[in-house]
Amino acid sequence: MAVSGTGFAPYGLDRSFPAPDRTRLPAFFTRLNDAAKSKVLTLQEYFVLAGKSLRFIFARPFYAQDVIQQMDEIGVKSLGIVLLTGLFTGMVLALQSSVQLKTFGATMYIGNLVSASMIRELGPVLAGLMVAGRVGSGIAAQLGSMRVTEQIDALNTLGTDPIKKLVTPRVLAALIMLPVLTIINDFVGIIGGNIIASLVVGLPASQYWRTVWDQIANDGFVFRYVPNDFIQGITKPFVFGGLISITACYFGLGTTGGTEGVGQATTKTVVTSSILILVIDYFITQLLLSVLSYG
Amino acid sequence: MADRPPTKPPTPGTPAAPPADPDRREGDRRTDLPAAEGRKTASVRQAIRSELEGDEPPTTPGDAPRTRGPDAPPVVQMEDVSLAFENPILEHITLAANEGETVVLVGESGTGKSTALKLILRLLVPDAGKVLIDGDDITNLSFEEALKVRQKMGMVFQGAALFDSMSVFENIAYPLREHTQMSEDEIAGRVREKLQFVDLEPDRVMDQMPAELSGGMRKRVGIARGMANNPQIMLYDEPTSGLDPLTTGTITRLIMKLQRELGVTSVVVSHDIRSAFRMASKVALLHERRISFFGTPEEMTASEDKYIQDFLGGL
Ligand SMILES: Nc1ncnc2c1ncn2[C@@H]1O[C@H](COP(=O)(O)OP(=O)(O)OP(=O)(O)O)[C@@H](O)[C@H]1O
Ligand SMILES: [Mg+2]
Repeated sequence: MAVSGTGFAPYGLDRSFPAPDRTRLPAFFTRLNDAAKSKVLTLQEYFVLAGKSLRFIFARPFYAQDVIQQMDEIGVKSLGIVLLTGLFTGMVLALQSSVQLKTFGATMYIGNLVSASMIRELGPVLAGLMVAGRVGSGIAAQLGSMRVTEQIDALNTLGTDPIKKLVTPRVLAALIMLPVLTIINDFVGIIGGNIIASLVVGLPASQYWRTVWDQIANDGFVFRYVPNDFIQGITKPFVFGGLISITACYFGLGTTGGTEGVGQATTKTVVTSSILILVIDYFITQLLLSVLSYG
Repeated sequence: MADRPPTKPPTPGTPAAPPADPDRREGDRRTDLPAAEGRKTASVRQAIRSELEGDEPPTTPGDAPRTRGPDAPPVVQMEDVSLAFENPILEHITLAANEGETVVLVGESGTGKSTALKLILRLLVPDAGKVLIDGDDITNLSFEEALKVRQKMGMVFQGAALFDSMSVFENIAYPLREHTQMSEDEIAGRVREKLQFVDLEPDRVMDQMPAELSGGMRKRVGIARGMANNPQIMLYDEPTSGLDPLTTGTITRLIMKLQRELGVTSVVVSHDIRSAFRMASKVALLHERRISFFGTPEEMTASEDKYIQDFLGGL
């Protein structure tokens, strides 16, 4: 089995698995064996890519300019869609909860509902999904076409580690920008809630914002001043940022089969990272709820 | 070739030998281009033969610096190399390029010529056998060590593989920025020098993006980038495919010029037998996963082998 056939070469790993001895095993077992191994290899490659790209954040040479460019690409250019999603999510949250709360005569608690859901869940997850669609696909397409036009090979040939040059800046930029985008998303969402609360329910802004803060304070603090909700709301996008960028780079660098392969890499990136965001969101929530002392 | 002694001592500043064939020796000047190409249309085979007879062997790199003794190991060597993807691609490949030689690898499409170059660059690792650069086995190097070894080599990719997010200038400057401490002025000077070497006008192309260039220009920028670091080994993957005869001639001469003036060791993959024979010290023919012929162009034309005759006949 050749190195690049298994996708090893893209990530610059040495072959740690010897070529299978095809003479001794019956064909069926060899195939089974190869299939099992390639699944294991894929997962292993993913983690090696993740490990390397994170380690290179602290290793020379630093491609600072690439990081800044990627922060612009990932962060600044995603601002528009994040503002829109945030605003409308907050508005619809307020609208739905106003209907629900009216039956209990408790419409003044709209702020609590909106802020808790935005900060803990919807802000991070929606920002993550939006960035996965916009940025993840872009990264995969770009790296994929670099792969099929041999630009990745060229980087390697010119003595540059493609992970350091291409992956690390994207991962670092995503790790920084996704929390920032999420905070903006949360804030705009809560403002959206405010708009609906005053227009539809007639709740005064001061009342709304007091309940927003009440909710955050009620959920408790770590180190006395850092609200638990903020911990949740920042941990998640940080993890999602890494997840999206590494997944996109993984599929992008592993592209095979020409331009068609580039399309497949983009699709796989968006599907995989969206699913991973939702699944991992559950586990982070589970973990943080048990670590942080809520109520 | 090791067995062919240099015919005369190198004289600094002058070409290796007086031009026996004006077409061949004056080839670096573009003015003689149309005549040179036109003359060879009558009988290509005949032309190749006469060209070969009249020629100083290109293995004598004139004033090029010879840094190593006569017993030095080949600069590039593949020993019994085998590689398979889903199917076996290469089996028991053995070839060697001594210092200053140009080995041309020919063969039908899809036989694994590009793959062989990637093995030399250690972008791929062979399933069996060894690849040696300057006598050092590179098969078991770590990734970081491989990056170092690759700095000895310049590669011209089949599709040029220019970084399309960077301008022509940045592309050529890339290896310099990565691996040297050169100042911006020195880098700019080097980029200009290399662009002129490949017959491009620095001021016209420097700020263009790769997407704005023609195929031939991209190839030439690719060559300029490959040699920016002045590597001792150059690898070319079909440097002339898909180009018009004039540009093909220019690029062929360029490769010969590099070898003659700088003593660069080259491995060239080519479909173009005519230009292959012009620049080759040795030709390797890849056929059915193996090297079915490895020798000088003269030996190749003299061969009685049916496949070789067919291959050459298919000019
Ligand atoms: N990464 C890879 N994975 C699987 N198969 C590959 C890979 N790279 C090359 N091959 C296969 O190896 C064979 C040789 O490919 P290669 O590109 O070396 O041919 P080539 O001689 O350079 O052809 P051409 O003259 O058309 O450029 C082809 O059949 C190709 O399908
Ligand atoms: Mg090829």
